[in-house]
Amino acid sequence: MTATLHVTFRVGNATYAVAASDVLHLESYDTATHVPGAPSYVAGLVQVRGRLVPVIDLRIRFGLPPADASAPGPPASQAAIDRRVVVLQLGTRVAGLVVDSAREVLKIEDTAFERPPEIVVHQTAGFVKAVATVAKRMYLLVDLPRILGEELDHG
Amino acid sequence: MTERVDLQEFIGGFVVEAAELVTAANAALLEIEAGHAEGTSRPKAVRDVFRALHTIKGLAGMVGVEAIVDIAHGLETLIRTADRAGGQLSRAAVEVALQGVRAIGERVRAVSEQRTPAAAPPRLLEAIASTDATGDAPAVAPQVSAELDARLSPSERAQLANAVAAGAPAWMLSFAPSESNAARGVTIGSVRSRLATLGEIVKVAPRTVTGPSGAQLGIAFDILVVSSAPRETLADAIAASLESVAPVLAPPPPVAQAPLPAGPGAEPSTRELAERDDATADVVPIGRAVIRVELSRLDELQEQLSLLTVSRFRLEREIAAMADAGHDVRRLRQVADLQGRQLRDLRRAILRARMVRVAEVLEPLSLLVRSLARSSERAVRLELDARDTELDKAVADRLLPAMVHLVRNAVDHAIEPAAERRARGKPEAGTIRVACTEIAGNQLELVVSDDGRGIDRAAIARRSERTIDHDADLLDVLCGPGFSTRDVATRTSGRGLGMDIVRRIAVSDLGGELRLATTPGAGTSFTMRIPLTISIVEVFAFACGRQAFVVPVSAIEEIFEIADAGITPPSAPGGRSQVSLLERRGRAIPMFSLGRELAIDDGAAARKAMVIRRGGEAVAFSVDRMLGRQEVVVRAIDDPLVQAPGIAGATDLGDGRPTLVLDLGELGLAARERQLP
Amino acid sequence: MKRLLVVDDSKLMRDMVAACLRPLGAVTFEFAGSGLEAIERLALAGFDLVVLDLNMPDVGGVEVIEFVRSQDRLRALPILIVTTRGDDESRARVLQAGASGFLAKPFAPAQILDEVRRLLPSSVT
Repeated sequence: MTATLHVTFRVGNATYAVAASDVLHLESYDTATHVPGAPSYVAGLVQVRGRLVPVIDLRIRFGLPPADASAPGPPASQAAIDRRVVVLQLGTRVAGLVVDSAREVLKIEDTAFERPPEIVVHQTAGFVKAVATVAKRMYLLVDLPRILGEELDHG
Repeated sequence: MTERVDLQEFIGGFVVEAAELVTAANAALLEIEAGHAEGTSRPKAVRDVFRALHTIKGLAGMVGVEAIVDIAHGLETLIRTADRAGGQLSRAAVEVALQGVRAIGERVRAVSEQRTPAAAPPRLLEAIASTDATGDAPAVAPQVSAELDARLSPSERAQLANAVAAGAPAWMLSFAPSESNAARGVTIGSVRSRLATLGEIVKVAPRTVTGPSGAQLGIAFDILVVSSAPRETLADAIAASLESVAPVLAPPPPVAQAPLPAGPGAEPSTRELAERDDATADVVPIGRAVIRVELSRLDELQEQLSLLTVSRFRLEREIAAMADAGHDVRRLRQVADLQGRQLRDLRRAILRARMVRVAEVLEPLSLLVRSLARSSERAVRLELDARDTELDKAVADRLLPAMVHLVRNAVDHAIEPAAERRARGKPEAGTIRVACTEIAGNQLELVVSDDGRGIDRAAIARRSERTIDHDADLLDVLCGPGFSTRDVATRTSGRGLGMDIVRRIAVSDLGGELRLATTPGAGTSFTMRIPLTISIVEVFAFACGRQAFVVPVSAIEEIFEIADAGITPPSAPGGRSQVSLLERRGRAIPMFSLGRELAIDDGAAARKAMVIRRGGEAVAFSVDRMLGRQEVVVRAIDDPLVQAPGIAGATDLGDGRPTLVLDLGELGLAARERQLP
Repeated sequence: MKRLLVVDDSKLMRDMVAACLRPLGAVTFEFAGSGLEAIERLALAGFDLVVLDLNMPDVGGVEVIEFVRSQDRLRALPILIVTTRGDDESRARVLQAGASGFLAKPFAPAQILDEVRRLLPSSVT
């Protein structure tokens, strides 16, 4: 009966989770330097603790309409203030995910994770690999390699 | 209350100093050998070798590495004999000394890797002890005053004769140390460094300065120098007046020296001799302040720097918040901006500290070529031209094995035996040239070329059972695993398996390119282009839409004001990659709108055009406005998510945000291709 | 406080000598990297003892000793010679030139400590 610490965050109407051991930093997010020619879901490059980190806008990645306050400049709304970038490590790669807001860090039992229902898989285009319900809340466990486009290498 | 002092804790310092001394000894021995080839002696180099060995011996004794003491002691005795006989070391002695120094170097490395160094090999010690140090070359005698001559050792006498024979006058300078001089930083040490750049110092001797009544007033240093510098410059170097610079009796007539057993090649002109002496002064960096820093300490510094960057970012946000709340933040902003600039300078300085000079990294190649040439019985010389290029230590460490492989292959496969070269009308000694330059796009280009026999494409095609049309195909075959042009292993290169390793290092490990060009009968060159992970580059910053970009200054040929230039608009309006024509000095250059190419905007606001050259053709890009010129640190972008054509890296212009570095050449190619039907 | 001048062209050697002599207590160390530099420093300031290596790039140790001794104010300055030439002939030559003490390399820390204690004018623990 092992429980692992997870970092959770909101994108759109759902709450997602990722293993805390994969998370390097949780930073506030303003804008990223746009990289022309990169896929549309790549917001661009940011500098975090002196390191160059490519960041993916999860709203776009998940097919949601982009957030309102995406233009650079002083924070115009609460939504913009809440935005975070979750900096993760996957193997030797370091990348960031832009999310609407960060939620609590909590322990989730390994056994609590189940396969997501078909409709969730379909709606999230395979980016969610498991679902867990904790204290009546539903958390969607993200498939990091898929989000970061890993399978494209083998494609 | 005596503490116990354990000198073993100085082992680390010993390794560092011993390694430096080994390098110095090798350099001096190679110089002496070069002298043999020209028929001149190098007494100063002989003294340098002696001192290096003597010092190594002392240090090794203190930290208890007996094997090194034994070898160094033997070599020291050998070389002292030569020094006493006028500073001429015989060829046999140089050879055995190089072997001895190599043996010492191996043992120093063993100590650094915490292995027990092997005992001194008895045969080597015997060889050292039985070698004739001086051979049969006569000593040379300069013609100077008897009084001066009496103060010179045979080695110094020879040094003076050599230098003067090269045509430079000799001077006696008198430097008086004083507290006021010392306070200004003028000491005997600094004076010597200064004079070493102006000529050759033969001897320095202290003298008591006495007053009329015989009372001692202080001391002075008499410095015997051979230099072509003007008298005023010399006086300036010792912070004294012209009276303190006295010519030493008219330079002696060129002494009829009995030449040393000369090697192949013509007698050098006196000018060449003088130049070479200057070059010698360059080889030994006198007065350059250098310390060794552990790489981990630089990493620590960078970590601290990252934290500073983060807190500065927060400061900016706080200031912005205060501005929003209606406070007057102008002065606060000024301070923050100043801090930003200082941070940027600090970042640059720290990253610069990680850079090593390519010339230093490639230094061991000289010794390598020498020993390879010996064992394969060819005459080969190495030319190293790295100018001032520098690169990150991490990249340098990975690059050196690749260079070693290429140089090995050149000696082994490329350079023909002397007879064959003569028959082809080539100089008997083959030349291998290693050149390193920085090129646009934040890259280093290293070329290893030779004037040897070239690669026989047909023979390789036969052996590999493939058709080979271009040099690129040839390279592919050569880099294929298990390929060898020789059926029998050669003595120096093993089975010729180096090329696949070279390609792996250059292309996979370092993310660069490897190219081959060969001409049968004339020679071969391998070109490696390595993107520099971290490099400091001068860039032009410019804006396109609301985004700032930079491009290396070296890539830009010209910058135009669009309003001034004659522009022919694109013939087919609408769509991407429209080409305008920019008129420049009677020629039309295609001009693309960068805003359009990068899908930023329609490029209507462009006011400036930058001209670049790629593959011999000029192309221009129009941008909104230029933002200035500055030196930045460029970092590579590794992640596949953000790799796109024309993006060469990212930098920080001082605002904490990544600014993209563009490779306009690549963009130009992409733009052109889109044009094609 | 006693002022000691340590002269050797090897930085490592200078550091080691200082480490060996630190147990003396109330001493400060200054360093010179060559015989000429040593002569200059001695001419411009006062020291209580000099530790001098014979093998120098510019001026031989014996010449340094002779020159120093030729200066009236330095005649009584304790000079401890440290050298790899440990033979009797070298020792004799050096002492004849005016050195106060002679120590062959390699030496143990305790040895140099004892020699310096012996040579320093008043007692330093």
